[in-house]
Amino acid sequence: MANITLNHITKIEGHAKLNLGIDKGKVTVCELSATEGSRYFEGLVKGRQYFEATEMTSRICGICSCGHVIASISAIERAIGFSPSLGTMQLRRLLTLGERIRSHATHLYFLALPDYLGYESALAMAGEFKKELKIALGMMKVGNHVVSAIGGRDLHPVSAQVGGWLKWPSKEQLQELAAELQGVMRSAQATVKLFASLKQQPFSTDGNWYSLHDDIYAMLDGSFLSPTSTFEQHDYHAFIKEHHEPYSTANFVVKDGKRYFVSSLARLNNNADQLLPKAKLALKQSGLKLPSVNPFDNNLAQAIELVQAIEHAIAICQMHLPAEEYTRPAPRAGNGIAAIEVPRGTLWHEYTVADDGTITFANIVTPTAQNLYNMQEDVRKLVPQLLKLPKETIIIEIEKLIRAYDPCFSCSAHFLEVNWV
Amino acid sequence: MTSKRAKKVKEASSKAQAVASFSQDAKAAMASAKMDTAPAKPKVGFYGITGCAGCLLSFIFNEDEILDLVNAVDLKAFPFIKEVNPDEQFDFIFLEGLVADAEDLEVAKKLRANAKVLVALGACACTGCVPAYRQFSLKENYEHLLYRKEAHLQDVKPTPVDEHIKVDFYIPGCPPDKQQIINFIKQALLGKAPPAYTSPVCVECRRNGNACLLDQGKPCLGPITVGGCHAVCINGGMECWGCRGPTTDMNLGLMIKILREKGFDDKFIQDRMRTFVGLKLPMLERVIHGEHNT
Repeated sequence: MANITLNHITKIEGHAKLNLGIDKGKVTVCELSATEGSRYFEGLVKGRQYFEATEMTSRICGICSCGHVIASISAIERAIGFSPSLGTMQLRRLLTLGERIRSHATHLYFLALPDYLGYESALAMAGEFKKELKIALGMMKVGNHVVSAIGGRDLHPVSAQVGGWLKWPSKEQLQELAAELQGVMRSAQATVKLFASLKQQPFSTDGNWYSLHDDIYAMLDGSFLSPTSTFEQHDYHAFIKEHHEPYSTANFVVKDGKRYFVSSLARLNNNADQLLPKAKLALKQSGLKLPSVNPFDNNLAQAIELVQAIEHAIAICQMHLPAEEYTRPAPRAGNGIAAIEVPRGTLWHEYTVADDGTITFANIVTPTAQNLYNMQEDVRKLVPQLLKLPKETIIIEIEKLIRAYDPCFSCSAHFLEVNWV
Repeated sequence: MTSKRAKKVKEASSKAQAVASFSQDAKAAMASAKMDTAPAKPKVGFYGITGCAGCLLSFIFNEDEILDLVNAVDLKAFPFIKEVNPDEQFDFIFLEGLVADAEDLEVAKKLRANAKVLVALGACACTGCVPAYRQFSLKENYEHLLYRKEAHLQDVKPTPVDEHIKVDFYIPGCPPDKQQIINFIKQALLGKAPPAYTSPVCVECRRNGNACLLDQGKPCLGPITVGGCHAVCINGGMECWGCRGPTTDMNLGLMIKILREKGFDDKFIQDRMRTFVGLKLPMLERVIHGEHNT
């Protein structure tokens, strides 16, 4: 096959491009880059007060805004030496679970599924697959309701703050959420069945997986680990290196020169034995063999996590969580690093705070930034095994691979403009 | 004040006011979009430039209505969730995001040329939102982050879209209220120019029975900010940060005076007011230094 240049991917959270050169069956150029306009959030929070970073950094991502809120709060609390209450932590988990539900449901049905069913979009599926779309929208609605009931808003929630919660949900509210969550459990189970039935491209990534590992299924705390190594969150700088590619705004993050990926699949690979009973059953019934190094399996992993998230969220809503009065903790000079698990993988926030509460340093590393290098090298590895297929099929398979990572420019991959040379 | 500067301030002020209203041209454009397409469904596109996709999601997150809604229009383009997005003429284009690099600018201009009615969807498009706060941030805070080497990727000043293209309607908010997007489309389907909400956040906030956060010593910008958001942040316990833009009749001087009385220093007040809508408050520095009263 003659040279191929895939060029110009754009859309969702910004734009991405894939430059791919092929010569005599070998990939000569493979550059995947986020080319979104830079927003410099880490610079913008410098000079602001320690309690202002949350409202600002939440704007990094609409669908992951709860993740940025909780990660920024956790890092700042560590910087100022504050430990949140157990009740506060449970509500933070609930907020994050609501986000996980709406995000996975949106990604699986609106971004990933159309590729597998041969449609250009979920909207185009509405005739034949209305039931599936209603299932997706039902879960999105409940996930969004958890976020708005606990966080005050669907997107960019406001009630979670450094120190605790500005507003505490009532027992009745939590009961109502539990009932709604129960109502979509079957939808999540049906989602596992659906994604388990889809035929996947056989493929294995050469990157290693990393996720948090805690005493419950990875969420807001724990060590960052792979099968071969473990390190604590505060050792971030000794472990993760960043380098910048001239063709991209994103940071590529490598560990000891090696690449890795974070995702639902990484979480499942590390923590499957901590799944709650219904999720454990769903995993078993799905036939997914763990550990998996096929990034295409991330879709199925997300479906299994939908069951887990709903199950876990119900359990939190049924807890006795007496209301706590909010008091903002006083500032203290210090540095804090926090990693949490957000829908797309591990998210890192780090801040240095001065005595008077002024933020003097910030560092934010998103899952997509960590995955970008691995995604690019996966594309490099996948293409040669596709070369006998028609060109259109090759593009679809590359898009499916990129989308399976659910990158923050995810849907961007929906927009591959192709120049065949 | 030099006349050049006065002109600049006046322009910026009139654009600020536009956030809360719309022009006669927009009404005409709305009428023609309706007329030209009736009885066919209006062709609609949802696009994003640099942003967080939260405004596009706010449209999609109308979970109960979305399937009917996309049937009521001819949703031709939506790169966020659609693979096929033809480059052609649209009756309505909803544009999320701000102009932050050369590519954004190119896309915004192209979309303007393709749209009979162009709607700025959400805070980034309407005011520049948090990313445009960079214009007020110290260069030393972010210049170490400037690592884009290729010329075509170089940044431009982070700016709302109306600095570059004509905007017919504004749906403000970070993100906009999701029902508000539906209401806009419903009105548009009837060929009506959707009325803009002009009262301050306090009106809805009081109606909701919230205790006044300003009274409690919190730096709430509700009194000078356009509502229509159901005071959602204050309902959740957080003071208003002003994301929907200033009201046309705000008393900025009095707002600053109250915040000072509550113990906030001028740096804090200025930073807070500029976080979401700094570019729509070109008079802030003068007012804070007492050169001007409103």
